[in-house]
Amino acid sequence: MLTLILRRLATAIPTLFAVILLSFLLMRFAPGGPFDGERPLDPATRAALITAYGMDQPLPVQFTRYVGNLAQGDFGPSLVYRDFTVTQLVAKGLPVSLTLGALALLLALTLGVASGLAAAMKPGGRADRSIGLIATLLTVLPSFVTAPALVLVFALGLGWLPVSGWGEGAPRHLVLPVIALALPAAGAIAKLTRAGLTEVLGQDHVRAARARGLSPLRTLTRHALRPALVPVASYVGPTAAGLLTGAVVIETIFALPGLGRYFVQGALNRDYPLVLGVVTLYAALIILFNLLADLAYGWLDPRVRG
Amino acid sequence: MSAVYEVEGLSVSVTSRRPEPVEGQSFDKLGTAVVDGLSFTLSPGECLALVGESGSGKSLTCMTPFGLSAGVASGSARLMGEELIGLSEPALRPLRARHAGFVFQQPLTALTPHLTIAAHLAEAAMQAGGPRPSRSELAAMLDRVGLDVPDERLDQFPHRLSGGQRQRVLIAMAIAHAPAVLVADEPTSALDAALRHDIMALLRRLQRESGMAMLLVSHDLAGVADHADRLLVMKHGRMMETGPARTLVSTPRSDYAKALVAATPRLDAPIAARPAVGGMLLEANAIRVSFPRPGWRSGRMLAVDGASLSVRAGECLALVGGSGSGKSTLARAIARLGPCDSGDVLWKDAPLPPRSAMRRGDRRGFQPVFQDPVASLDPRWSVAEIVGEPLAWLGQSPPFVSSDVETPDQRLDVTRHERIERVQAALAAVDLPPDFAIRRARELSGGQAQRVALARALVSEPDLLVLDEATSALDVLVAAQIVALLQRLQRERGLAILAITHDLALARLLAHRIAVMEAGRIVEEGWAEEVCASPAHPVTQRLVAASRGS
Amino acid sequence: MKGLLALLTFILLAALLGPALLPWPYDAIDWNAVRAAPSAAHWLGTDGVGRDLLARTLMGTRITLSVAVAAALVAMLIGTAWGAVAGWAGGRVDDLMMRTVDALYALPFMFVVILLMVVFGRSILLVFLGIGAVEWLTMARVVRGQVIQLKARPFILAAEAAGSPAHATLIRHVLPNIAGVALAYLMLTLPQVVMVESFLSFLGLGVQEPMTSLGILVKDGADDMDLMPHALLVPGAVLVTLLLCLTLLGERLRERFAA
Repeated sequence: MLTLILRRLATAIPTLFAVILLSFLLMRFAPGGPFDGERPLDPATRAALITAYGMDQPLPVQFTRYVGNLAQGDFGPSLVYRDFTVTQLVAKGLPVSLTLGALALLLALTLGVASGLAAAMKPGGRADRSIGLIATLLTVLPSFVTAPALVLVFALGLGWLPVSGWGEGAPRHLVLPVIALALPAAGAIAKLTRAGLTEVLGQDHVRAARARGLSPLRTLTRHALRPALVPVASYVGPTAAGLLTGAVVIETIFALPGLGRYFVQGALNRDYPLVLGVVTLYAALIILFNLLADLAYGWLDPRVRG
Repeated sequence: MSAVYEVEGLSVSVTSRRPEPVEGQSFDKLGTAVVDGLSFTLSPGECLALVGESGSGKSLTCMTPFGLSAGVASGSARLMGEELIGLSEPALRPLRARHAGFVFQQPLTALTPHLTIAAHLAEAAMQAGGPRPSRSELAAMLDRVGLDVPDERLDQFPHRLSGGQRQRVLIAMAIAHAPAVLVADEPTSALDAALRHDIMALLRRLQRESGMAMLLVSHDLAGVADHADRLLVMKHGRMMETGPARTLVSTPRSDYAKALVAATPRLDAPIAARPAVGGMLLEANAIRVSFPRPGWRSGRMLAVDGASLSVRAGECLALVGGSGSGKSTLARAIARLGPCDSGDVLWKDAPLPPRSAMRRGDRRGFQPVFQDPVASLDPRWSVAEIVGEPLAWLGQSPPFVSSDVETPDQRLDVTRHERIERVQAALAAVDLPPDFAIRRARELSGGQAQRVALARALVSEPDLLVLDEATSALDVLVAAQIVALLQRLQRERGLAILAITHDLALARLLAHRIAVMEAGRIVEEGWAEEVCASPAHPVTQRLVAASRGS
Repeated sequence: MKGLLALLTFILLAALLGPALLPWPYDAIDWNAVRAAPSAAHWLGTDGVGRDLLARTLMGTRITLSVAVAAALVAMLIGTAWGAVAGWAGGRVDDLMMRTVDALYALPFMFVVILLMVVFGRSILLVFLGIGAVEWLTMARVVRGQVIQLKARPFILAAEAAGSPAHATLIRHVLPNIAGVALAYLMLTLPQVVMVESFLSFLGLGVQEPMTSLGILVKDGADDMDLMPHALLVPGAVLVTLLLCLTLLGERLRERFAA
């Protein structure tokens, strides 16, 4: 198991490096720079800025310096939010995104696994078919449709919850964004749980457990559930990273000051260090969660441990 | 003594659209297998074996009354005096748990992957309401089924154990609660030939020790004849014949049982004279094949370790060995269909190039037939296309180097019309009617598919067939027909054969010589009858014992 | 299955023919009916500047679908080729190619698409190229898995014994046998692409005004939802119906061919 983790890390680091390099180059070769905004700057100021940010150096030098700083947790200065470093911006946005994402992930897992279980208890039954349809519907409902619809009903219509805003993390403000963020993932997890369970329930070891007179519930929980969750683990890995680092749309719709908003702003303003910082952070999180998913496999199915 | 399990007029119908695959032989018809009015009784300490081909309904017969198949049962089945038919699943469950134990065919998949052996055993021991067994009791259970180092095994996960070891664990679980009836559904057919005998003997010993009754299901008449007290031969869901095991095998009364007995290769059966042998056809010297170790471990495993063999024109050499002995790997290396590290192969005294350098013409002389007949044919192709494939390639010299072709033999350069004729001739040679040409591969039964595969191998008129367990996935009667067909081809065409098999009795039927493989080496080689009559190497002796079934 | 196909065909036909049959072009402004509720003249009402919502919805569906089909085809071509070559070659080549796919999976792909849009400007061509270029990863994995499974089947070995060269075996035996699965995943890629396209348009990075797409319509609808909820609900319903049909059809196909 340890060697498996080490192997994974050994491939993860070059991957992360490649992601950074790719986004770095993409930003650098993009036509137009951060100082080519609507108001043209006078050439002298522009040159001064470029020197100040080290952008007159050859690319390899810039890149090496950037990576070196990254290693020390320094994402560099923001080019647009001139008074902040990217590290400070990330530190502001990340807690918002993390709170939102963690709650959504928890909700999606609970809803998804529970309804997947309910559906798999009697394959082809009425519960199975209606859960299957609802789950499919949830996975295809884009959050930018559900979110406004939720707002329309619960905020504008019934007036129970606020329309938007962070409200310093007050629970009332979190309800709608968390639900809107969780629903598609819940649908996908329900489908995966159901599919995994029906497959495992048809396997020999489940038949053998039934032959020993185990009750259906005990057969399900003791013999079938763990192997059935393997596909769920592989889905949750990358999805968790996505949920945690901010669903851009949800943050836009609900005007939440999360990481995704900074990213869109940064991209629109060609704020290289900000965009690079968010992309790097996100890639690192994806890698981390894939690693956690691998660990989960090991627990769910000891054959993976070798 | 009164019966522990009585079945009277049992019928089973399968109404579900997709019935459970029959004994892993997914290629045979998956139609509604039906059991029709079957009766038998089981007394304590008695072993009854239900024998039949796939689709005979033998598994359904023993599983359906217990609620363990997709079928619906009618009639009567009384376990310890209690009627099973008509009971709901919640009512059946405690009866199964208390009085019955089950062993299934596939030991590799019958254990839950994330539970340790100890957890499995404890669950089994407590299924009838017993107390949680202590660790030493668990170890004793493993010891009883002949598993080595039981104490270490307890903490292992199933995937650490081999198939034979897992089957022993499953047997230990099946008898942990001292059931009255042990139901064993093909308990040995997924195991190596040499192991089958051991496991059957173990089951028999445990059964005698505890005085429980055993209901055995098998497709292998010879394999169970020496272990069961009584046999019940089934065909299409009906009983064909029943009686004491030894009598039934030695003097079968019904035509079907006679055919089954005749079709089962036995080491003591008389054999026909083999066709004459010509000059040297194939010589393989010091073949070595290795594979990278699976998983993350580094290094390579040696699968074939310096094996040499030769086949003369018209001769049949059988390569015999257990699974993992390297026999298939060796044959593929020689036929240039698999990896080969070193060693050389002479075909008609000329060296054969390595696999990557084989030219089309080089492959004309030898053609393979594989074990799984259905997987051997592209499901989307018609029989005519499949059989004609070798003609399309082997028949043409490569256009860009036509002068470079070493063999001037252009016999396969055929026109479209000739090609159709040759496909028809090949189909005729394997006793398939001409209208099979338009069928799709997926419409064929196992036996038909293997005949098509054979026709494809014959269409280029090769000198040598490489048969990789070509009959072992087939039902007994079908396999016997294919063997007869092969014998005819040997006689009529002087075809040489390199046959890979785990079945010594089958090897003896076809082969002039037998080479026994173990751990990548050929450990014994000689005339077929001599090897079978007086095996020298311990491996051969085990194989002989397994084939005798004694 | 039939019902789904019928519904999908209806949406397709409406998107293709509808705009030509309606009296109002999608970009024509009716100054007499700004923010109008559904009426005889405008069956689904008009938007904030007086454009017919039915015409805009049909046009948006057309654009969204064309982008989706084009992108999904790009994804299928790249994915099938990549997966087939990796699975067929095996060994180091396979290792390298699939590591690349793994690495690309770790790319924050939505961010990459956004980056591409921002960096290279916003054109429809780029939208579908960009989406297609990231959506091929799943296809590559699936196809590779299928090819590896097929490669282990003896009929491939039999073809080699029959003298069939590797490229011929790949074309004549392997590709026809994975066509069904590839088709199923093509169907499943479509809703993914529709989703991404709508998503980008929603963020203002996709199709530009006055051209429209379902994503833009939903965004505009969301902005005005307190005044005229139908402007959100109509394009939203079309989008969701479309996605649902495509997903369900794709899943049926996958069930049929993956077995």
